[in-house]
Amino acid sequence: MSLQNLILNLQKFWADQGCYLAPTYDLEVGAGTMTPDTFFRVLGERPWKVAYVQPSRRPTDGRYGENPNRVQKHHQFQVIIKPSPANIQQIYIDSLTALGIDLRDHDLRFDEDDWESPTIGAWGVGWSVHLDGLEISQFTYFQQAGGLDVFPIPVEITYGIERLEMFLEEKDSIYDLQWSADVTYGDLRLEEERQFSDYNFNQATVKSLQEGFALAEKEAAQLLGKGLFLPAYDMCLKCSHAFNLLDARGAISVTERVKMIAQIRALVNQVATKFVGREGRG
Amino acid sequence: MEFLLEINVEEMPSSHVRTAIEDLKERLAKELAAAKIAVASLAALSTCRRLILVGDFAAGQADREGLVTGPPKAAAYAPDGSPTPAALGFARSKGIDVAQLEIVTNERGEYVGFRTVEKGKPTAEVLSRAVPQAILSLSFPKMMRWGTGSMKFSRPVRNILCLFDGRSVPFEIDGLTAGNTTTGHKIRAPRSVRPASFAEYKAALREALVIVDAEERRAMILAQIEALLAPLKAQLYPDPHLLHKLANDVECPFVFLGEFSEDYLSLPIEVLSTAMREGLKVFSVVRGAKQIPLFLGVADSPADAKGFIRKGNERVLKARLEDARFFWDHDIKTSLKKRAPALKHVLFQEKLGSYDDKTQRLKKIVAYLCGRADGEKIEKDAILAAELCKTDLVTDMVREFPSLQGKVGGLYARAEGLPETVAAAIYEHYLPMSLEDTSPASLAGALLSLADKLDSIVGVVGVGIQTTGSSDPFGLRRNAQGVCKIILDRKLNLSFPRLLDKVLAVYGERLKLPPKEITDYVSEFFANRLRYLHERQGIRYDLINAGLGGGFENILYVHLRIKALDALKASPQFEPFILMAKRVNNILTGQPAGSLNADLFVEKEERELYSAFSIVKENVAPMIAKGDFAQAQKMVFRLQPGLNAFFDKVLVMAKETKLRKNRLGLLQAIRKILVQMADYSQVVVEGEKAAGPR
Repeated sequence: MSLQNLILNLQKFWADQGCYLAPTYDLEVGAGTMTPDTFFRVLGERPWKVAYVQPSRRPTDGRYGENPNRVQKHHQFQVIIKPSPANIQQIYIDSLTALGIDLRDHDLRFDEDDWESPTIGAWGVGWSVHLDGLEISQFTYFQQAGGLDVFPIPVEITYGIERLEMFLEEKDSIYDLQWSADVTYGDLRLEEERQFSDYNFNQATVKSLQEGFALAEKEAAQLLGKGLFLPAYDMCLKCSHAFNLLDARGAISVTERVKMIAQIRALVNQVATKFVGREGRG
Repeated sequence: MEFLLEINVEEMPSSHVRTAIEDLKERLAKELAAAKIAVASLAALSTCRRLILVGDFAAGQADREGLVTGPPKAAAYAPDGSPTPAALGFARSKGIDVAQLEIVTNERGEYVGFRTVEKGKPTAEVLSRAVPQAILSLSFPKMMRWGTGSMKFSRPVRNILCLFDGRSVPFEIDGLTAGNTTTGHKIRAPRSVRPASFAEYKAALREALVIVDAEERRAMILAQIEALLAPLKAQLYPDPHLLHKLANDVECPFVFLGEFSEDYLSLPIEVLSTAMREGLKVFSVVRGAKQIPLFLGVADSPADAKGFIRKGNERVLKARLEDARFFWDHDIKTSLKKRAPALKHVLFQEKLGSYDDKTQRLKKIVAYLCGRADGEKIEKDAILAAELCKTDLVTDMVREFPSLQGKVGGLYARAEGLPETVAAAIYEHYLPMSLEDTSPASLAGALLSLADKLDSIVGVVGVGIQTTGSSDPFGLRRNAQGVCKIILDRKLNLSFPRLLDKVLAVYGERLKLPPKEITDYVSEFFANRLRYLHERQGIRYDLINAGLGGGFENILYVHLRIKALDALKASPQFEPFILMAKRVNNILTGQPAGSLNADLFVEKEERELYSAFSIVKENVAPMIAKGDFAQAQKMVFRLQPGLNAFFDKVLVMAKETKLRKNRLGLLQAIRKILVQMADYSQVVVEGEKAAGPR
């Protein structure tokens, strides 16, 4: 039993469901939802099935490696299927069974939890999924992305890999998890959590981050002008990560927060509009 | 005949289920009434995955008899009795044989015609149209689509079972065909069930681990809780909201008792129960008022034979409590006073500034309120409470558990040794959270709560945000109801316009709308809330309107006016007096101001009315000033005989100007007293309806 086995099992399960397995995206993102393999697949009319592992960085969640449950970087297993199949809940339940969980001994619950990301102008309706009280997944029917209504409706399933593995291994600390048979999560990640917590909260240079945000924003606008919405979207992701770091540094005032989120959202909306225009929706 | 409908949906939020099932029932009942199908019964049941209606309807519409009238008898038959071309033509045009015509008599005379019988439609046929219509007309606070369909609902609809008299009612919604099967518990018994009746449906689902009646599930949960706690001599920390949610969220309730380490008992019960309720959706367990290290969870399962469910929940709760204890220990290292500057960075509302701005306003409004509500003694503490009441927004605890705001601030204030008055005021300043909730127990808490709510209402209105229909993003309705409740509970005699002026003055330049526009809107807003509050108590709407019409200078007085009207409505003097007051009103409509001079009275009746008026006026003034409207109302009843005689014997609109002006002046002076009591023109009087023009 190990975290990498969990990933392999999920990959196998969803590949068998017809998903293409996307490589992890090579930019910092706050959630698997933000990578192009979700963002551009949920827009437009073409049906898609995709699954991938995405490290997700949330600088404010850093706890210097001292909290057994919170980390500034965790891993999500992301699944997008468009259009959402009628039996998708059952498929999800089967995926848990495929991990060796005998659900008859447990309590699986779909608990109202509508998801929303103002930065990328996206929202959906769904649940957080709890297994014996532990939140192991988010299950969302997308309704909007990039400020545009989506159709057909995609379903997004996001497994919290570490949470699920803690359940499977019955461990109380994330750092005690087995990454592989002889390597623990702590071996790989503890020092990283310590250093990045210090970087996120104390060391990141506010001025450089602000400049980085401004540069990426400018670049995105320019690229959009040239119709290059894919690199423009990368620039939006860079803005978003700079924003998250500035937030962790406590360097964003209330009014700035609203303004910066609106700036990113406006760019993402243009990206979405250009993409959909090119795909020739309708 | 029996009707059964089950809409199978992916897990719906409990708030959606409650309104949807009632709406569905109502809409179907309406459709059936329109189709003239007799409904003997119609009941609603639900789980988070099922909206269920069960009813007893007539087999079909009654046959409808009609009468088609043709030409007059005289024109239809020749003297020899044979049908004329008019009769033949009529019969042909209606597609019947002329021999079927009969003589019908109506108020205009004798005609030929024929009777028709329209066969009533069978109920199943009506249902196949009415049911989908009722389903599609449901609306939810947030609607979604799924797959490639066009239907919008709370969550995806996956199956529909619809039976009438044991047979399936055929219809289709957005590609989904209604049938006669459903499925059991999603995890435990996901098998197909094909019932022929509601009794079979209920029994088969019970077998398949689904209890379809929310009330029964609630009772099961409570019985299991009782069975677990009785031997421990412990009690549930009551949480009706959570109980309602859990009774909705599980189809097969199983209560388990979990434990946590005694180490966490150092946390206040408010924090513990919130961590349990919000972190994990489980109940706290208490003995007396003391938390004990146990909790109760509700699983959607017939049992927990291997203890996995309990152990899993215990592990999650431990992490939650560990977090909560970390927040508590960490938070109390910084005093509330030291946190205050951080409020500059927390936005209250874009145009209304930060919570620091709000804090500065609250201090001024609270100081004002202390001066007007016998709060001089607590003024210092109340102002300190205002200064600190929002500082818990920048604690880790409130960031993690927003619902603890206020309470946690009070607990921290107590922990750091601030005066109890201050701690209690902070703790209570969000109360009441609803109409069922209690008002703050302390005066400082009550005044701070009033200040906070009025600041929000005036500010949000003042920057032009409208509260309409379901859109009330700042909870202004709840806030305004809270203000009314506190004022009425504590019987606070406060000038409402002056209070609004004070809040407006404290805002200064920040509000963009003209002050008059703001106060008008806010007054109307409060009038509507008062209307709602009194309607809830079952008071007649016309009496409420009459009480509101008596002026809006003081919320307590508006309430007392309405109560006085309500208390006196059954008195034999009430209706005659209302009619008289209306008469006074009518006669004065459009009249110029008179002038009252006691020397100018000519008739005995007007002199007597004047002296009755003088006595009433003198007596009623102190009653009104005290807010004793019931006594005042009784006092003005005494004008009745004088007014009666006056209207009988005295010509108000006398030719002579001096007399006329004097009589109008007397009535105007009387009206001046009456309008302080109520706007009697709003009261609906039974006698008036009968006597009114037809």
